[in-house]
Amino acid sequence: MVQAGELNTPRRSAAPRWRVLAVFLLPALLLYSVFIVYPLVTALEYSFFEWRGIRQAGFAGLGNYRDLFGVYPYDQQLWRAFGHNALFFAGTMLIQNTVGLLFALLLFRYGRGKRFLQAAFTTPYLVDPLVIGYLWSLLLNPTFGPVNSLLEAAGLDSWALPWLGDTRTALPVVIVVNAWQWVGFPMLLFSAALAGIPAEYHEAARVDGASAWQSFRRVTLPLLTPAIGVVSVLTFIGNFNAFGLVYAMAGSTGSPAGSTDVLGLLFYRVAFVEGGTEAIGRSSALAVLMFVFIFGVSLLAGSYFRRRERRLL
Amino acid sequence: MKRGWIAGAIGVLAVALAACAPGGGASGQNGDAQGGEAGGDKVTLSLWSWRVEDVKAYDKILARFEESHPKIHVEFKPFQATEYNNILATGLSGTAGPDVAQLRAYGGLQPLVEAGQLVPLDGKVEALSGFDAKLLEGAKGHKDGKIYGVPFAYQTLQVLYNKKLFGDNGIRPPATWDEMIAAAGKLKAAGITPFAVAAGPDATWTLPIVHEIFGNARYGSTKFRDALLSGDKKFTDPGFTASVKLLKDLEPYFPKDVVAVKIPDVQALFATGRAAMYPTGSFDLAPVLAANPSLEVGAFQVPPPPGSPVTTPVTPGWADGSFGVNAKSAHQAEALELVKWMATPEFGQLYASELKQLSAVPGVTPSDPLLAEMAKNYAANGAPYTLLVDFRYGQPNGDAVFRDEVQKMLAGQTDPKSVAESVQKGVEQWFKPGN
Repeated sequence: MVQAGELNTPRRSAAPRWRVLAVFLLPALLLYSVFIVYPLVTALEYSFFEWRGIRQAGFAGLGNYRDLFGVYPYDQQLWRAFGHNALFFAGTMLIQNTVGLLFALLLFRYGRGKRFLQAAFTTPYLVDPLVIGYLWSLLLNPTFGPVNSLLEAAGLDSWALPWLGDTRTALPVVIVVNAWQWVGFPMLLFSAALAGIPAEYHEAARVDGASAWQSFRRVTLPLLTPAIGVVSVLTFIGNFNAFGLVYAMAGSTGSPAGSTDVLGLLFYRVAFVEGGTEAIGRSSALAVLMFVFIFGVSLLAGSYFRRRERRLL
Repeated sequence: MKRGWIAGAIGVLAVALAACAPGGGASGQNGDAQGGEAGGDKVTLSLWSWRVEDVKAYDKILARFEESHPKIHVEFKPFQATEYNNILATGLSGTAGPDVAQLRAYGGLQPLVEAGQLVPLDGKVEALSGFDAKLLEGAKGHKDGKIYGVPFAYQTLQVLYNKKLFGDNGIRPPATWDEMIAAAGKLKAAGITPFAVAAGPDATWTLPIVHEIFGNARYGSTKFRDALLSGDKKFTDPGFTASVKLLKDLEPYFPKDVVAVKIPDVQALFATGRAAMYPTGSFDLAPVLAANPSLEVGAFQVPPPPGSPVTTPVTPGWADGSFGVNAKSAHQAEALELVKWMATPEFGQLYASELKQLSAVPGVTPSDPLLAEMAKNYAANGAPYTLLVDFRYGQPNGDAVFRDEVQKMLAGQTDPKSVAESVQKGVEQWFKPGN
């Protein structure tokens, strides 16, 4: 009897339990509302108004959005920045996430020094992107930087390029530095996912005569789908919101000649650098567009990966 | 990756906070007044500024004000320069804002004027009528033409040079453009960077300045500027294009890979004697001398390049900013006293000697001989830096388009003609000639 009574307790006291939950949830919800929801909603509101400094000067409808797509040079910079964000994402997926997967596989297979290497690879992402950016721009400085001095000392003079001053190398360099900073993150997620794959699957594949590559391609990779989904979506969100690292390495204009300009920098320029009388309206419109795009694509990608996972079961 | 997401959210939040005008709230200055000095009816004014590095100098300057105004105490409160515009716009909209604030000039002043956050000073500060008209323009509302601040400083543009390097290489300050090019060639052959010019990520704003220094006479100086404003000429004028081309022609005498070179790099090159000439503003004299106090620095105005409509050297310049009164200040009379004092030679002389800047107050001569020479040149051959002075009243700013395009040109991606066309295309979206 006592046992049955204990089992029933939760159902009988359902209402008080909700109250307890609310006490724990409310502070977080309140902070979330004040610092995330409220700014998002106000940004949406601001984007529909005409501005004179911080004074609203009447309803603008879609005027601010039209300005972004119609006023030179924003019309060109918007698409250029969007293209660079897309390249940033593609490059990061290609370099950071494949290398992260490779590191995870190697650490999984050859366990020696695993703890140390995991810590080493994840250290850079404990440092702020701004700091990483300034550090690398010092290292890559063409006049005083050690990277080019080393290359010249090694007789590789033709490799001593102005890495951040050439329109062809600047964006790839930023992507590689970003990957260098974050490679530990996909590595950790993939390591956890690899550890979750039952060893019997690989044994069965081996018994059937599968090569190491076939076993990876047909067994490991499909079972990593959930992890790949999470990593892809987080990479997408991070890359389309990129700001600190690019700002530190390429300034607010996406130097040189706008070759590293991304949406975050464009927002910063419209909102704060030029700081004209219409700044609040136009920058809010851009912030809303970025949010809608990133949120929308993340939702779509999330549901795509969930469908893929279901097919696995 | 999560950080990027947070940074984005903070960006959105920053706009929201800049705009959400917190009304009410405890007033900082009242609290200070009560808790401060023992004298019961003493008024505390709060003075906001973007010059964090000037705290000591302002304490000294303001102590003199308090001597002659014993009933007023002024509290100098500086903020990070890059954040200042937003902090000020928010501060002026509440009750915890400043009584007197340092204001940006020209286009940067307009958001505050149009939001009605400042007190017009016409007729209230008599001394303003004696100020240089060119400098007063920087403190005026663009639409109503009223004066909203007492200008505190101006900047002049010229070439600084290393006297010792010039002497060692048998070079004198050039009297003609050809002499200057010959000197640059000689220096380059000797392994010295002739011109310390940066065009890297942090330096794009200096490119229009370098263009002014070398090209102002070539495009026609004040005359061309007046023709631009009246609509008789455009930036696509051949003279302006030719002035842009000068930068491309001079590129061999800039540091190698100039598009990757940053401002601290060129300051270091010049201060350590690895570069001989530094085309820059009067504002750079103090930092250069701070980096190397034993450096012997001279200055010259660039001789007009061949084909220039103006045949005498020019010193371009602009007003740096002004001090204005918050429309919501609870101490209007005392705040007005302070800005009135800031228009007197007493303040001007203190400002010039404490901060090593060119004071905007008429009749003040800098104690530093080099600054005095720059001031003399500006008085004799001054010309407006038109992209900043006249083309920042709408978005895109004239100088913002210009700097991006010049950087592209130095990176080999565009030519002088397209640079000029882009500037015209950018500004004509909001600029209406003849106003």
